[in-house]
Amino acid sequence: MPKTLSRVLLGATLFALACGGSKGPTPLVVYSPHGRDQLTLMEKTFEAANPDIDVRWLDMGSQDALDRVRSERANPQGDVWFGGPSTLFIRAAADSLLVSFVPTFAAATPERARGAGGFFHAVYETPTVIMYNSDAVKAADAPKDWDEVLAPRWKRKVLIREPFGSGTMRTIFGLLIQRGMKSPTDTGPGFQWLRRLDAQTKEYVLNPALLDQKMVRQEGVISLWDLPDILQEQKKGSPLGYVFPSSGTAVIEDCIAIIRGAKHLAAAKRWVEWVGSQQGQLLTARDMMRLPSRTDIPDDSLPDWVKMVRAEMKVAPMDWSLLADRGADWMTYWDRNVRGKGR
Amino acid sequence: MRGRPRGILLTLFLLWLVVYPLLMVVLDSVRGPSGWSLAQVAEFGRTPEEWQALWGSLWISMVSVVFAGAIGIPLAFVFERMEFPGRRILGALVALPAVLPPLVGVMAFLFLYGESGFLSRIVKGAFSLEDAPWRLAGAPAILLVHAYSMYVYFYLFTRAGLAKVDSSMIEAAQSLGASRSSTLFRVTLPLLGPQIIAAALLTFMTSLGSFSAPYIFGGGFRVMTTQIVSTKLNGNDAMAMVETVALAVVALVGLALFRWTSSERSVAAVGKGAPPARKLEQPVARWLAAVVGWAVAVVVLLPHATLILISFVPMRTWTTQLMPPVYTLGNYGALIREPERLRPLINSLWMAVVATVAALAVALWAGRAIVRRRVRLARVIDILTNVPWAVPGTVLAIALATTFSVNAPWAGRWVLVGTFFILPLAYLIRNIPLTAGPVIAGFRQLDPGLDEAAASLGASRWATLRRVTMPLLRPALLACGALAFATAVGDFVTSIVLYTFETRPISVEILSALRQNDIGIAAAFGVVLMLVSAGAMAVGTSR
Repeated sequence: MPKTLSRVLLGATLFALACGGSKGPTPLVVYSPHGRDQLTLMEKTFEAANPDIDVRWLDMGSQDALDRVRSERANPQGDVWFGGPSTLFIRAAADSLLVSFVPTFAAATPERARGAGGFFHAVYETPTVIMYNSDAVKAADAPKDWDEVLAPRWKRKVLIREPFGSGTMRTIFGLLIQRGMKSPTDTGPGFQWLRRLDAQTKEYVLNPALLDQKMVRQEGVISLWDLPDILQEQKKGSPLGYVFPSSGTAVIEDCIAIIRGAKHLAAAKRWVEWVGSQQGQLLTARDMMRLPSRTDIPDDSLPDWVKMVRAEMKVAPMDWSLLADRGADWMTYWDRNVRGKGR
Repeated sequence: MRGRPRGILLTLFLLWLVVYPLLMVVLDSVRGPSGWSLAQVAEFGRTPEEWQALWGSLWISMVSVVFAGAIGIPLAFVFERMEFPGRRILGALVALPAVLPPLVGVMAFLFLYGESGFLSRIVKGAFSLEDAPWRLAGAPAILLVHAYSMYVYFYLFTRAGLAKVDSSMIEAAQSLGASRSSTLFRVTLPLLGPQIIAAALLTFMTSLGSFSAPYIFGGGFRVMTTQIVSTKLNGNDAMAMVETVALAVVALVGLALFRWTSSERSVAAVGKGAPPARKLEQPVARWLAAVVGWAVAVVVLLPHATLILISFVPMRTWTTQLMPPVYTLGNYGALIREPERLRPLINSLWMAVVATVAALAVALWAGRAIVRRRVRLARVIDILTNVPWAVPGTVLAIALATTFSVNAPWAGRWVLVGTFFILPLAYLIRNIPLTAGPVIAGFRQLDPGLDEAAASLGASRWATLRRVTMPLLRPALLACGALAFATAVGDFVTSIVLYTFETRPISVEILSALRQNDIGIAAAFGVVLMLVSAGAMAVGTSR
């Protein structure tokens, strides 16, 4: 027994040392909510062109990523934070968690994609939409606008992704609150609307995968979600459809940034440049249904769906800095006074 | 004796390990942006939702104790006291919820009893219902999971106790004319007191710190563990600290109450030994018992079976059918083929091994100090090794993240957040009560003369420990080592807060697979975790 014990101890120690001390390509740690499929594809493609870099990604919600970057401030483990609405990045920049770095593709993107001070930059535009199960609901019957989601026929048929960990849901809720505002403090009508949504909601679902799964299994038939995820699911054969709300929708500036204290700064810069390069943007547009933020890509190389979506969607005006500023308080208020109170 | 520091080093070490991080959290909860402030505490006091969450945690834990006891204690009596066909194997099967780590168990429940799980679809199909017959959400769902996974504590502890109950006491009661039920309530159950209280304490603490079940099934139902995480996620760190302190206080009060009740109940009985299991004479009764036993075993094993079944289902092939249409080995292939999936498996294993070995070392150190050397601080050391019981996983994780994100070696703080030391350290702390209790008890039963004999034969202290003490403690070391290993390898609560790329464990990978809708992969990971735990338990109980 003692011999076995000491052998196990020795073995474990050696193994731990071996794990920590490996040499090789520069590791690049990426925190991202973009999901295994997209990240694996990007990792493989990028590493093929940059064999000296080993991309390691950790999959987490965008709000989780912010929390992680914040709690690792004393000893940053990540190099790049890839994915999440600009509101989260505005907060991170204000907390001095990011490095200022203006990539060369910045010039090819519209003004709204460029984060103040160069701390972050949008690489994708992610429209939020109304999602429905296309087996259970005919396209003609699906809600055409936000307000139609409140129709009595959808009572208890709406599923909502648990909004706390989700940048997408926070943005949608932000838009719905801002829509009713006459002044920056006038949140009453917005929360009243959300309370009615709460009454329609059957369940707050923990994560996007469970949301898709429950939608596919018809545990609910209507939801509010983002377009790329639905297009991805459609491609895999899931019976999901979407509607651009006729009164306009929030288009999330999906950003990328380098984390302050990143241990592999040079590699991080190369990754960011590549994600925003024409090649990187086309890769994700073709295979992963990500709407490129840069506008200088020739039309004939873009997939058809990009052109269709750009023509079809109507962008609602939003005060993003107000959302970044007040979003956390709104969510706290929602959690305490709206969640579960509409029924 | 020799003027050496009598247990001071060990006491300081344990203080640093289990008390110091908690202290940091308490300090952070009363620190505002500019100096000391009670503003957060006041806000906590003012907010009804916070109290609601605290109350939710408390009542869920108390009801879990009642449910788990109501299932576990009768089962223990049936399997310990009645002889019927298949008793031995069934008795072992009934303990198997213990090999389902928290997150994995919750996942299995989701696929089995969830709204579109097997059972609800069967019921829906059988009665041609329009909607699912029930929803697995909120407090009832949490209680169901708790009762299922925690009755094992009552079952195992009560069986162990029953095996030691002296039959002469029962015979005495019966010869004095006591009926069977009054013997049960006035003799047997009181004799089982310490075991039942220990099981109740374990259940209470585990429920209080339970995270997976409320995280996945909670919905709008508030408990403190999930409240802490969502407050932190929302960026309000100060409030998260106050919530953490509140949960820790409830847990510590609970621990103190339990210790206070159990200190007065210790009946030593040495006599004729336990009565033999009563053979059921009537064939009808025997078969009835066997049928009931098998039925219980089937219900108990359904989650395991569900998990195994789903681990063979390729992604996205199972939508609204009753049973999955396709089965392959693809998910297991992916675990081995894809290095980024294999890595979490290896991570979990080595971290659990390191944490278990370290926890056994601490336990031996404490056992020697308390029992052999009878240091003056023995009582303090004993209490310190028990404190981690009372610290819910979320609290511990946040405490470690707070304490070890600052580099101040003079204050015993190093930057460990983001390094690969922090997770094994967290597992170690959670394992200390699991190993220290049995090892200290084991030391108490050893004859001190053996040590002296070894010393008089010229053996060094190290040699005595290695060649005399440890072989004698072997059963205890194996049993609690296995339990500690299984706990660490399946940990989810602390891991989710503290993992890094280098150290991401299986449970985090399961969550990530669930996030991606890779239920098959998640289930395959779950099956592996289940087998590893079962293997550890088998080693631990082998004689």
